[in-house]
Amino acid sequence: MKNIIEIKNLHKIYAGGTHALKGIDLNVKEGEFCILLGLSGSGKTTLLRCLNRLIEPTSGDIQIDGEDVIAAKGQKLRFIRRKIGMIFQQFNLIKNLSSLTNVLTGKLGYSSLLHSLAFSKNKTDVEIALENLQRVGLKDLAEKKIKNLSGGQQQRVAIARALMQNPKVILADEPVASLDPATANSVMKYLGELNKKDKITIICSLHFLSLARKYGTRVVGLKDGEIVFDGTPKEIDKKRFKEIYGEDAEEVEIR
Amino acid sequence: MKKANKLKFNFQAILTDLLIWIYISGCISFLLNRWFELAIPSLYILIYGAVVSVIVMICGISIGRKVFLPTKRTNNKWYKTFWGWTVVLILLITFIVGWILVEVNPYKFFTKFKNAGGIMSGIFDPNLDLLVVSLTALAETIYLALLATIFAIPFAFLLSFFAARNLMPKTLIGNTVYIIIRSFATVFRSIEAIVWAIIFSVWVGIGPFAGMLALMIHSIAALIKLYSEQIENIDPGPVEAIKATGANTLQIWVFGVVPQIISPFLAFTIYRWDINVRMATIVGFVGGGGIGLLLLQQQQLLRWHNVGMIIWLIAAVVWIMDMVSAKVREKLQGM
Repeated sequence: MKNIIEIKNLHKIYAGGTHALKGIDLNVKEGEFCILLGLSGSGKTTLLRCLNRLIEPTSGDIQIDGEDVIAAKGQKLRFIRRKIGMIFQQFNLIKNLSSLTNVLTGKLGYSSLLHSLAFSKNKTDVEIALENLQRVGLKDLAEKKIKNLSGGQQQRVAIARALMQNPKVILADEPVASLDPATANSVMKYLGELNKKDKITIICSLHFLSLARKYGTRVVGLKDGEIVFDGTPKEIDKKRFKEIYGEDAEEVEIR
Repeated sequence: MKKANKLKFNFQAILTDLLIWIYISGCISFLLNRWFELAIPSLYILIYGAVVSVIVMICGISIGRKVFLPTKRTNNKWYKTFWGWTVVLILLITFIVGWILVEVNPYKFFTKFKNAGGIMSGIFDPNLDLLVVSLTALAETIYLALLATIFAIPFAFLLSFFAARNLMPKTLIGNTVYIIIRSFATVFRSIEAIVWAIIFSVWVGIGPFAGMLALMIHSIAALIKLYSEQIENIDPGPVEAIKATGANTLQIWVFGVVPQIISPFLAFTIYRWDINVRMATIVGFVGGGGIGLLLLQQQQLLRWHNVGMIIWLIAAVVWIMDMVSAKVREKLQGM
């Protein structure tokens, strides 16, 4: 399998002086389900956001699907972004619009402004959007406003929105951190399905090792902006766990 | 503390003390002039103020030092400190000077009520024959306010995006656009509608059109501020998510920003219309037409019963608008 993401010597220093990423080198192969583990502030979110340039890296090199992300500007950058779906901890949906409209916004990178203003009139777009809602089991709630949905349902709408982009890669930034354990599992299940059936490469930051073991094909541990572990989920034992999370950490189970 | 900061705070402290003491010395000179007819040259006022401020600054007991520079925490009660008494002095002297300048005269208030007898009897016995004429003028005022609001919306809507800090890129162009539009809005808003009405009543002639233009300009500036502050308060999450789909800037604004602001925008606009109806009455006084103009004419003719009729109508409309707009805004909040 070829590398779909190649990160070389990536640094991010924030304006305040925080050195969030200290020379990250990481290659992700096509079809991997790569879990990022690490404490809050270890650089997981920064790393994910650098990949689609929601955050500007300070230095380094990122190649995604053979394209230079760092050098890309304007339209070129937008074309790279539309190949990368993103899922957020806070879902980041537009609360007073319907699920369907929210899913349709996944198509924005492929449409002109005029076309996107008439999304709801476009039969093919609506059909694809409904299909994607069907995939996450929410077709019946297409017309419902987001603010009337539960957290788990909202995150599934967000997954459908990402699917709308026809992504090669999905970046998931703690997608289950604000959900209860049962809902968290079901959301992860959908991500796992996309990874297996659609061969979408997934990079997902998580807090729970048990979920990492269940869905991840690879685990990367981050600590203070550096990679401290890179291997399979099975390789993480007590010792490795403490390397990532620090001496005082105890593993909490979530099933 | 950084050196540059320390310099800045020192400068602010000195400037504050200077202004405070020049103000105090100015007030004292004014009182000396009023009570003892002593004329003190303005140059001396400045010098006295400056001298005192330098003395208190050197002694380290000034207000400027207290506000801008770190002082050792002491448990002194305010009345045991010099700055505490300075504050008392400022408040006291301001109150006395204010009383004299405003010509406060409680005696007149309690003894000269009968002068207002005409207008009072007018209010309690309005001339109902004027109802039709007044209603026509009132309609003019309401429509004037409505059109001023409607015409202001598109300008304010478009410009508010460029006056929102979170939407403008932090580049030279972005900052320049932001600052220009923000200052435009601030300056135009600080010029009262009544001043605009005077300008436009010369420009296009006395009448409702001048009043509408005046309210429109003022509304644009006011709405830009309200709208752009609303935009600055949106949840940045959805904007980020839309950006991540590969959308361009306009699409981000249309899909990420607009849905979040549409109902507060509507609420503010209705509120603005409500304000405009009230302002339209005042604007009428200086040539903006409508019920204000009618009120002015009747007042100058000393037709108190007609004035009474008009006052009742204005009160009714303001009351109704207030209620309606509050109800509509309440409904919009839930959306």
